[in-house]
Amino acid sequence: MFIRMILGALFRQKGKMLMIALTVALGTSLASAMLNVMLDVGNKVNQELKTYGANINVLPQGALLLSDLYGVEQMPDSPDMYLSEEDMIKVKTIFWAHNIVDFTPHLDANATIDGGENTVKVTGTWFQKQLSLPTGEELETGIRQMRSWWAVTGEWLTDDDGGGALIGVAVAEQYGLAVGDEFTLDVQGSSRRFTVRGIVDAGDDEDAQIFIALATMQELTNKAGLISSFEVSALTTPDNDLARRATANPRSLSAREHETWYCTAYVSSICYQIDEVIPDGVAKAIRQVAESEGTILEKTQLLMLLITILSLLGAALGISNLISASVMDRSAEIGLLKALGAHDIPLSWLVLLEILLVGLVGGVVGYFAGLGFAQIIGQTVFGSSIAAAPMVIPLLSVLVMLVIIIGSFPSLRYLLSLRPAEVLHGR
Amino acid sequence: MQAKRSMFYLRTVFASLMRRRSRLLVALLSITIGATILSGLVTIFYDIPRQMGQEFRSYGANMVLLPKGESGTISPEQLEAVRAILPTDDVIGVAPYRYDTIAINDLPFIIAGTDFAGAQAASPFWGITGEWPSGRNQALIGREIANTFRLEPGESVVVSGTNSEGEPFEKTFSVAGIVQTGGQEETFVFISIDDYGAVVGGEVAFDIVEMSVTSSGAGLEELVTAIGQETEGVTAQLVRRVTQSEDTVLSKLQSLVYLVTIVVLMLTMICVATTMMAVVAERRREIGLRKALGATNGSVVLNFLGECLAMGFVGGALGSLLGFGLAQLVSLQVFNRTIDFPLAIVPLTIFSSLVITTLACLLPVRNATKIDPAIVLKGE
Repeated sequence: MFIRMILGALFRQKGKMLMIALTVALGTSLASAMLNVMLDVGNKVNQELKTYGANINVLPQGALLLSDLYGVEQMPDSPDMYLSEEDMIKVKTIFWAHNIVDFTPHLDANATIDGGENTVKVTGTWFQKQLSLPTGEELETGIRQMRSWWAVTGEWLTDDDGGGALIGVAVAEQYGLAVGDEFTLDVQGSSRRFTVRGIVDAGDDEDAQIFIALATMQELTNKAGLISSFEVSALTTPDNDLARRATANPRSLSAREHETWYCTAYVSSICYQIDEVIPDGVAKAIRQVAESEGTILEKTQLLMLLITILSLLGAALGISNLISASVMDRSAEIGLLKALGAHDIPLSWLVLLEILLVGLVGGVVGYFAGLGFAQIIGQTVFGSSIAAAPMVIPLLSVLVMLVIIIGSFPSLRYLLSLRPAEVLHGR
Repeated sequence: MQAKRSMFYLRTVFASLMRRRSRLLVALLSITIGATILSGLVTIFYDIPRQMGQEFRSYGANMVLLPKGESGTISPEQLEAVRAILPTDDVIGVAPYRYDTIAINDLPFIIAGTDFAGAQAASPFWGITGEWPSGRNQALIGREIANTFRLEPGESVVVSGTNSEGEPFEKTFSVAGIVQTGGQEETFVFISIDDYGAVVGGEVAFDIVEMSVTSSGAGLEELVTAIGQETEGVTAQLVRRVTQSEDTVLSKLQSLVYLVTIVVLMLTMICVATTMMAVVAERRREIGLRKALGATNGSVVLNFLGECLAMGFVGGALGSLLGFGLAQLVSLQVFNRTIDFPLAIVPLTIFSSLVITTLACLLPVRNATKIDPAIVLKGE
């Protein structure tokens, strides 16, 4: 009888029930879209922030950064001034290997152009290198990914182009070189002719550098298999108190804290793990990138969280509003049932169950519609799909149930307080 | 006659609103929520570029000034001239630097004279152990130097070199703090520009000036050309790494908020419309009764329209205020900054809520007027 009454109500009031289902579906789709986007926005923005380039620099232990500085001559060569190219690949074997997006080696030396007096810094590097890792993974990495802001006139260099070079705009201006021109480079006694393939506008001191393929540079300087440093671009978690303490002094942590720190992708713990696999190197966080990443990431996540809460609130109020409106609407029917001797409790169940059933249908439809909205957002903004977080489903079900019950409660109480005679009379 | 009729019209609308207080509340609440979300989100959306632009300044200088021509340095007067070109509110930090080589224990390093307040503002990512120098004869040293000589904040460091007249000098500085950046700054000794003048000598001038300016894309390019044209002996350059990447990421973030705003607004507005429709649809009996008493379809529609417009107006006005409060709250929480009240949002919000309520109202009312009053009154 009870079931028949519910079904009866559902079918008799098709239009109205459709309206409730629609509103619940709209609200749920809004909530599910926002929750999914919010939960994934950290990853997505983190990926975007990789356009700022490397956040970790790995140098040989013995070397101060002096060669960078305003032409101060490098001290005489010694083996501990270099890292081995083979060792570098090991960064893809650390605990957080998956978070390492790109890495690029540098082999630097000072050279003269066409027998001139002034020295120019020449860097051998990877441009767009295809790597097959020992783990069986394929990886494409190189300076082309690491310097998204470079504007190159002409062409990018390829890694097997032994006779080509990319030169900075300042070098091009100083020596009057254009794309296609040839010049001679004298590096530590050996010289070779190069063709300018492209001119780089980097907007910093790299404008005054020349870039050639790493293999060519190793041949020229007679340093097979050696590199002077490498840059790593890693996805990291913003620093918190623990990470700051660990950066200051890793030994100050308890065993438990150390484990938490080690197993979280803080920039400091990734540096620590790189130090572990590359014994004669020192990994340094480039604070300009690492610190700022954290700031931007935290702000974006907080912003999305607040907008999500806002829209959840809106959806909840919207649903409960419609439900109170539609429950009130049934005063005549409830009055009749009461006049026929129905008790308050089964009557409330009747109304509640009807709405819950309709809400369930609306909720399921809304959840999937919301996933669709999330994908639209992901594809248009980030060009990649948004992962559907499983935790959204239970969260949404509880939320929708609560909203429906809370939404119908005040109007139910109002209905039950009515006197049948008055209602039927039509007041 | 006309006056009397419009009085009656107003009275009908008002009386109908008052009699049905609970339902009125439901409808009004839903319009207000919609309007609040509309005005709040749109305010946030318009404020995002400005707020986020400020946050992106944590990446440090996005413009550098370099000397051009004979002198090889930038004088304080030239720096002032450049500052006059830039809008004061947009300049976050200006850090001038003057470099020379020095030795500590016979190892060569670089000494930099700077303005510490400016450097701190322009490079917020510097990690300082100890404190920023505040007085004379205090220095900030790079971590590499500190590690090499095992120096701690509070200890002192002896710096030697040759001054601008070619005479050797030796000077003791107390180490106020140790700076960590992961870059070449870790091999620098930073001292105030006054100390630099006293120790190394020469007139006050800078080799390079780093600037952090809140402006992006075309705005920055314009500033660069303006500086190049209007000041003698100085060229401005953009730090492409910072500006280019900022444009990329900022435009992504903006389009994210844009899309989210559209989705939320669309769904919320439909939600408001369905609620309004439900509220109006339940008054079919009333419409039937009015028609039975001789009201024309036109007058019934006008009556309802009046009610809806009144609610739309009140809800929209309330919502635009509440929405600003909401946007303010979000801005304070996320960015720790207040936002200005955008006046244009008020008419926009009120107009949208008027449109939505009218649409949501007309549909069910028109349906109801089409039906024969007898059937409606009978309750079918």
